[in-house]
Amino acid sequence: MNTGQLALLVLLLPAAGAILLAGRGWRLPRIWTKIVGPGVVWASFVVTLVLFINKASDDVTYFTWIKSGTFDVPFNLLIDNLSIFMCLVITGVGALIITYAVGYMAAENDASFARFFTYMDVFIFSMLLLVLAGNFVFLIVGWAMVGLSSYFLIGFWYQRRSAVLAARKAFVMNVIGDVGMILGAFVLFTTYHAITYAGVFNALPCANGKSCIGGDSPTLELAAFLLLVGAIAKSAQLPLHTWLPDAMEGPTPVSALIHAATMVTAGVYLVARMHPIYDIATYAHASVAIIGAVTALFAASIAIVQTDIKRVLAYSTMSQIGYMFLAVGVGAYSAGLFHLMSHAFFKALLFMAAGNVIHSMHDEQDMRKYGGLFRQLPRTSWSFLIGSLSLVGIIPFVGFFSKEQILGAAFSKPDNTVSLVVWGIGFVTALITGFYTGRMWWMSFAGKPSPERPVEHPHEAPSVMLIPVMVLAVLATIGGLIQTRALGFGPQAVSDFLDTVVGKQPWEGGVADVILSLITMALAGLLFLAAYRIYVERTWKPWSTRFPRLQRLLERKYYFDEAYNFAFVRPMDAIADGGFTHVEQPLIDGVVAGTGHVTEAGAGSLSLTQSGYFRNYVLVFLAGACIAAILILVKSNS
Amino acid sequence: MSIGGSQLDSSWFLLLGAILFTLGAIGVLVRRNPLVILICIELMLNAVNLTLITFSRQLQNPEGQLFALMVMTVAAAEAVVGLAILVEIFRVRDAEDIDDLSELKG
Repeated sequence: MNTGQLALLVLLLPAAGAILLAGRGWRLPRIWTKIVGPGVVWASFVVTLVLFINKASDDVTYFTWIKSGTFDVPFNLLIDNLSIFMCLVITGVGALIITYAVGYMAAENDASFARFFTYMDVFIFSMLLLVLAGNFVFLIVGWAMVGLSSYFLIGFWYQRRSAVLAARKAFVMNVIGDVGMILGAFVLFTTYHAITYAGVFNALPCANGKSCIGGDSPTLELAAFLLLVGAIAKSAQLPLHTWLPDAMEGPTPVSALIHAATMVTAGVYLVARMHPIYDIATYAHASVAIIGAVTALFAASIAIVQTDIKRVLAYSTMSQIGYMFLAVGVGAYSAGLFHLMSHAFFKALLFMAAGNVIHSMHDEQDMRKYGGLFRQLPRTSWSFLIGSLSLVGIIPFVGFFSKEQILGAAFSKPDNTVSLVVWGIGFVTALITGFYTGRMWWMSFAGKPSPERPVEHPHEAPSVMLIPVMVLAVLATIGGLIQTRALGFGPQAVSDFLDTVVGKQPWEGGVADVILSLITMALAGLLFLAAYRIYVERTWKPWSTRFPRLQRLLERKYYFDEAYNFAFVRPMDAIADGGFTHVEQPLIDGVVAGTGHVTEAGAGSLSLTQSGYFRNYVLVFLAGACIAAILILVKSNS
Repeated sequence: MSIGGSQLDSSWFLLLGAILFTLGAIGVLVRRNPLVILICIELMLNAVNLTLITFSRQLQNPEGQLFALMVMTVAAAEAVVGLAILVEIFRVRDAEDIDDLSELKG
């Protein structure tokens, strides 16, 4: 098969699985769901591997979807190293997580079980469409469809009010981003009259070796900023981030797949894919870095005070995506994408290990009620530790290499104040990351069991849930060895692979970067250990007793939800209420009900003429006939 | 048409037809037995037939006779339907008086 057919196969396998499960899944024996649900994603992964081994690179147009005058939308897939890289992460990590879900969702009834895997396969299809699309129209289709499947999956337990509310919030936030993206695509289309990536990029002022000086224009900045709105909404960056913590209402595999490993990183992919635009639009590009850095610090600081283990992970996800934005924002695209991959490994690992803990604790998610799980859940605990150390950024775990490469790139970028500032923020964030990760780890697994613990003797999860976790633990441990540039030497497989698409980082790091990254690691590690003193030994007073106001500010998440409620939700509610009492009830209801009343009264009086007696009708009929006959006679005689 | 050499004037036939039609119409209006009403309708139809045939003879035009045949056919069909409806009504309820069938009263 050629590249085009293989790429189509990658895309359509999950779609076929979803259709099969949606149509027949709940009527067939459960074993079919167990096979089909993860099976199609594994198959898709294998096909992606074939593409990867073939070094496929092509822009395949399958058919014309819309043709209207000069407006021409083809269905084309762009198969290059970036999209293959994304497909490998999506299908690889996705297949592991969906396999894990077979165990995690086992308590659901048959119909819900099949529904879950249908949604998961729909999500994988949408995400693959997003990364494989070769034009803006299908990018937007994929973009909207991942938002939709996210909505389905957050609200999976639709009997819970909180889950439904969270799903709605996520959907609304995502739609704000979708609108931004659509407007951005409009701007690009009206400017360059092209809808495919290739068409737009070739029309850019910098394309084909032309000079970039003076290439920046307000139009291009506008397009870049509008696309950025889409990216930050999908990736839960400031200020459109409030949906992600609430999205933890969904089942844990969903959090691992959609709200950690893949969908939320779509914004990073978008910026990397649109890098020809961002390379020219310097203000928008700098905004990407600043938004990323601020979000990283902001989310990490909130993670310190959260007590729900999944919420800690959610804020840490926001923070890590902030790092990726920082990286693509300063122009270190391949470093950002490397962190995307490494984050997919260790954060999916953390979420699934947390899922095992939650499972063994009978759905208790409050870390304060855990404690002392290390002896009782050894394998989960070790995996969680590997994920945590990777998140903190300790050698040799994958998180160290990816995060420090980003910080190094930001620090060493020449003659750039913005990148120095974002490096500073990123550095502080790395230290906070060490602290909150330590707090999470020690609180949950070390010390004595909490007296409030729901289960005295928890059991380790079944092997279908343990094996994917351990596979990811292995990947998180050795994955960094394919790219060790953060240490200044060694291979850089990911960057070499991606540089053909996103361009080589135009500056080189120095020795200072390596020293700084080792310092970062040491300090973050010390803070990780310091959390032990505070939360297990309790020899040090918790910082929060000293700063109760700061504690409160963080617990309230900087009052973002309250501010949005005040600024948007309440005015909208007031408008809706006003419309109901002043327009709907008197005006619309009045007119509708009035029409009914008039009709009813008229019919009532008219119906009196209907006596129901046969002879009355005959009499009227005859009288009518007589009158007609007389009229005819009169007329013919005159 | 000649009967016994002499020919009756058309107006006698028309007068008879008018009387029969009026009797039928009055019957439909005043009688309460559904069967009698049906018979009265037949009477009205036949009065019309008589009129048609009379004019046909007077105008030497066979179309009137054709129309009379047509009316008989329709009358037969109408009688079938009407009787069938009556039979069904009787089967459901004992309605000897057509005034009992006044459910459509407003």
